[in-house]
Amino acid sequence: MRAVLVRVVQLFVVLLVVTIFTSFLIDAVPGDVTYTLAPVATPAQREALRHDLHLDRSPVERYGEWVSGLAHGDLGCYYGTSGYSTASSCPDKVADRVKDALPISLELMFYAQLLSLLIAIPFGVLTAYRAGTMFDKTVNTTAFALLAIPNFVLGLVLAYYVGTKLGWVDPTGYVDFGKDPVGHFQQLALPVISLAAGQVAIYMRLLRTDMIATLQEDFVTMARAKGLSPARILWRHALRPSSLTLLTVAGLNVGALIGGAVVIENIFVIHGMGFLIADAIARRQYVALQSYVAILALGYVLVNFLVDILYAILDPRIRHARAIA
Amino acid sequence: MPEPSLSATTNATAVDNGDVVAGTQSLVLDLPPVQGTAKVEKSKTKKLGIVGWIAIFWLVAVCAAAILAPVLPIPSPTKNFLSATSEGPSLAHPMGTDSTGQDMFSRVIWGARASLLVSVSSVAFGLLFGGILGLIAGYYRGKLDTIFTNIFNVFLAIPQLVLALALVAVFASDPAVSVGKREFWLIISIGLVSIPIIGRITRASTLSWAQREFVLAGRSMGAKNKRIMSRDVLPNVLPAMFSIALLGIAVVIVLEGGLSILGVGVPPSTPSWGNLIATGRNELTRIVGACPQVILAPSIAIFLTVLSLNYLGDVVRARFDVRESNI
Amino acid sequence: MVAAACSSKKSTGATTQVGSSDTTKPVEGGSVVYAQEAEDAGGLCLPEAQLDISGENYVRALYDTLTVPDDKGNFVPYLAKSVGHSADFTVWTIGLRDGIKFSDGSALDAQVVKNNLDAYRGAYPARHPILFSLVFGPYVKSVDVVDPLTVQVTVNQAWPAFPSYLWSSNRLGIMGQAQLDSADCAKDLIGTGPFKLREWVVNDHMTVDKNPTYWQKDKDGNQLPYLDSITFKPVPDGQQRLNGLTSGQFQLSHTSSSIDEEQLRALAKDGKITNNESDKFAEVAHYMLCTAPATDTVCPGSPFSDEHARKAVALALDRQTLNHVRGKDIPQIASGPFAPGAVGYLADAGFPQFNLDQAKQEVAAYKADTGKDLTFTLGGTPDPESVETNNFVAGMFQAAGMKVTTYSVEQTQYINVAVARNFQMYGWRNFPGSDPDSLFVWWNCNNAAPAACDNLVNFSGFNDPAINADLQNGRTEPDPAKRQADYEDLNRQFSKQLYDLWTNWVVWAVDTDTHVHGILGPPNPDGSAPNPGLASGHPMLGLFVTK
Repeated sequence: MRAVLVRVVQLFVVLLVVTIFTSFLIDAVPGDVTYTLAPVATPAQREALRHDLHLDRSPVERYGEWVSGLAHGDLGCYYGTSGYSTASSCPDKVADRVKDALPISLELMFYAQLLSLLIAIPFGVLTAYRAGTMFDKTVNTTAFALLAIPNFVLGLVLAYYVGTKLGWVDPTGYVDFGKDPVGHFQQLALPVISLAAGQVAIYMRLLRTDMIATLQEDFVTMARAKGLSPARILWRHALRPSSLTLLTVAGLNVGALIGGAVVIENIFVIHGMGFLIADAIARRQYVALQSYVAILALGYVLVNFLVDILYAILDPRIRHARAIA
Repeated sequence: MPEPSLSATTNATAVDNGDVVAGTQSLVLDLPPVQGTAKVEKSKTKKLGIVGWIAIFWLVAVCAAAILAPVLPIPSPTKNFLSATSEGPSLAHPMGTDSTGQDMFSRVIWGARASLLVSVSSVAFGLLFGGILGLIAGYYRGKLDTIFTNIFNVFLAIPQLVLALALVAVFASDPAVSVGKREFWLIISIGLVSIPIIGRITRASTLSWAQREFVLAGRSMGAKNKRIMSRDVLPNVLPAMFSIALLGIAVVIVLEGGLSILGVGVPPSTPSWGNLIATGRNELTRIVGACPQVILAPSIAIFLTVLSLNYLGDVVRARFDVRESNI
Repeated sequence: MVAAACSSKKSTGATTQVGSSDTTKPVEGGSVVYAQEAEDAGGLCLPEAQLDISGENYVRALYDTLTVPDDKGNFVPYLAKSVGHSADFTVWTIGLRDGIKFSDGSALDAQVVKNNLDAYRGAYPARHPILFSLVFGPYVKSVDVVDPLTVQVTVNQAWPAFPSYLWSSNRLGIMGQAQLDSADCAKDLIGTGPFKLREWVVNDHMTVDKNPTYWQKDKDGNQLPYLDSITFKPVPDGQQRLNGLTSGQFQLSHTSSSIDEEQLRALAKDGKITNNESDKFAEVAHYMLCTAPATDTVCPGSPFSDEHARKAVALALDRQTLNHVRGKDIPQIASGPFAPGAVGYLADAGFPQFNLDQAKQEVAAYKADTGKDLTFTLGGTPDPESVETNNFVAGMFQAAGMKVTTYSVEQTQYINVAVARNFQMYGWRNFPGSDPDSLFVWWNCNNAAPAACDNLVNFSGFNDPAINADLQNGRTEPDPAKRQADYEDLNRQFSKQLYDLWTNWVVWAVDTDTHVHGILGPPNPDGSAPNPGLASGHPMLGLFVTK
């Protein structure tokens, strides 16, 4: 119960600090949104537009407006030439953009995680079991090499050879699952592979190291002595306590994949959260940026909380250790 | 308790007041070193090996080329060989030329200069500030630690690339500033992004050392904190920071590439590996006049450099047993 | 396919110059996806919007303009039934067609047209135009409703080119009253155009559906438009548009990049696509020099108020080589702002030929005058192609002993930098070959020389009495021969003063699946042939697919 309370407080602190920081940061960006709404304008016209958009108010005041909107469940409104508006009269709601982009980012993140775990877990377990063998060395070397390929290089190469040259999938674009499930997976295959490749290596190595440690624990030796099959020991007994680090890192990666996949989104023309954020920065859409950053921060805190809970489930000893700390 | 291989994770699990967040969001930094055998739990004596020497050789060669670029017998990276545009590798142009006839070999070498300048400087910046903050937090603990740790956590909630993008927009988007200034602000931006990551890892490492008997003894004998920190704790924390630095440089080289693809990396008039890939990205896919070497050459340079840095980072970590736990 | 028969070594033979006759019989129905190089995320509140090429295409789909240019560049009535003028060219009478309805069912009448024109000139309370208020504001005296189908515009002086402004490079669409008054004018799109808005997800796609009661029919009496729907998709990267076209993801795509066009020509030659190119009524690509005396805020650090500096860069710029290496010899080297066929065009307006030795002399002369090396920055857009081109050009200047730094500016901030005159040398393209009077708004200064120009959009900041006089005379001069002389004079003055370094006239290409036809659309309502330029988009009403 106390842990939950701590988490809730932490959530608010993170949200508050991140958004205040963002608010002052974007205030410092040279050039404001009026330059993208009306590149050509007389100083008087620009001033009028700034006034209409509340840009002539102090950052504190604008932050207050944003917070009070948020309190009413309003993520805000894109700046337009029609002046400042609240949710009710907003022509271009931030919430609408999020509704379109967040599922895409979540899909991308989920598939990338799933793919990398599906590959990393078996290889991690097997290389730990066969540590020091030729198999282990080959897999490790491959993983190490994969890790050194920047995802954008992989993305560009895949987009070209698989997309353009072979023509198996369209080199760019996104297809909604509801509209065309096959097309959906086809179109997301390349970006997901680009994102997952490096992760596979990381996850696998983390699991392998922890697994090696676990395999030397007494309970494993006991299980061996009892004559349990190696497969049973590996998958049923050793894997669970060995997956804590993996879990932590995979959890952290969730946040990085949701907003930070912007380069891959750019290469494959997928309009996820990363795209929205980069676009909001480029076009000086402060309110929108503020809300996007808040969403990412929220996600980050929640995922960490979830990881915490999973920790306790995976390894009951943690609960005890935690209680002491 | 099983011993997780990550110092940061381990420490965080134990002492972070219910916060299990590992020390970094930059995953490459989280890599445990590969252990040769299951029988030895920690191979403290990991040897450099032939691969290690190759890695060192490569890095030395890249650094030398980067530093000596102006005096090497290579054409200017911006000279246009108009009779040899979009050509494959040849004796005159070992890595071929791009569509404006610029020598790719020269551009990759000059690119190393910008990429290394940005990555080494920003990591140094991050190490300096992140290191000091982490050291203070880990050594004094208490309220100071809570504050610093929470600040680190907060900034880790924003993806690195997004934060870097925003910072670059703040500092380096005025078109009137020179290349040097843009590079400077790029370095500061990336350096700022790396502070919380480096800070957390340093803190974790410091925590473990600050609990050691010799430090506690020094404290009880009334030695000054500053002195203990610099004489007793820092030297022990340095290997951890060094291995982070190696991995961090690799991460930043790639990060600069990502920023270049988004159009805010090193300004294009100065070749960097990132902006070579960014400007060359379409050369790969041309139907007429495709010259894949324009993107492949810098990609391979990044690949080998990152590979070498990762490997050596691993070696350093294993060697100095950076995974030291405080439990 | 014509292309398959073409065996010329240069792939140019595969390319359809738009305007050449395509006798394929139109087919009704079908839909297409059109990849656009940009998105007008700011919306289509037309008087307030500052549209790029994709916005111009949206306007072509959803709205109509009162006039359009024909194949010879003369302006003919379009949505208007007639456009007449008083003997002194100061009173313009616009007659409207009866029975035209907006997409919301409201009628097109004189009142709504008056309200539109008032909105554009800044005299309609609900709308706050910016660029258009510079174009019309000081020069239009009044707009009056004469009868339900007639509007009268009174201008402050003879203005023979006024009908071209009723088109304004396709930006002056007539909006429904509800959109004019809407708080959400940018997204609440109501026009009389051949298509109606179905949905617009900004930065993702805009889908428009056939307007079944559109007012135009083709010459066989078939209802226009032919297509059931068009989906516009913003894809900023040219190579991605091209790849999507070959993979069948898009049926239409456009580009103005020579590198793309070289590839598209090759694809067209193999019969894989149809490549429609046009350099008619083209924009001119150029490097703007910030020529106002440098201060901390105006042209900061720019050496180009000095004549030697301007001459040095003009002489050092090897336009032949530039056009060969970067332009793939696809566009023509520009002699001035006016493309062939436009009023004011000169085959040779006296722009300096490339001469490295003379360039070096000018650099030395600059140093002798100022005691400084000739040093400057060169800005461009961040797309890979323009980055490479600018680095290439910088190499030419360096070869003449100048010190050049290139940099790129985000697309969204690009114009802003120019308006702020916060540049030294800056890549630009503008002045699509409409009537040369359209340049008035860009160059004319109302304050006396030699002070920096008071005109916001005279980005270079020059204030040249000769050019001001030419613009003024050209605007009020009804006699075509005299107008031609005025604008030729202006053309020569530019080559003499070198405020801009002209590089080439921009070739636009609209590339399509081989089953797509009708890029230029049917003849205009008055029977004249459609305008073959592609610089401000192209009509959507005549597109059809034969599959």
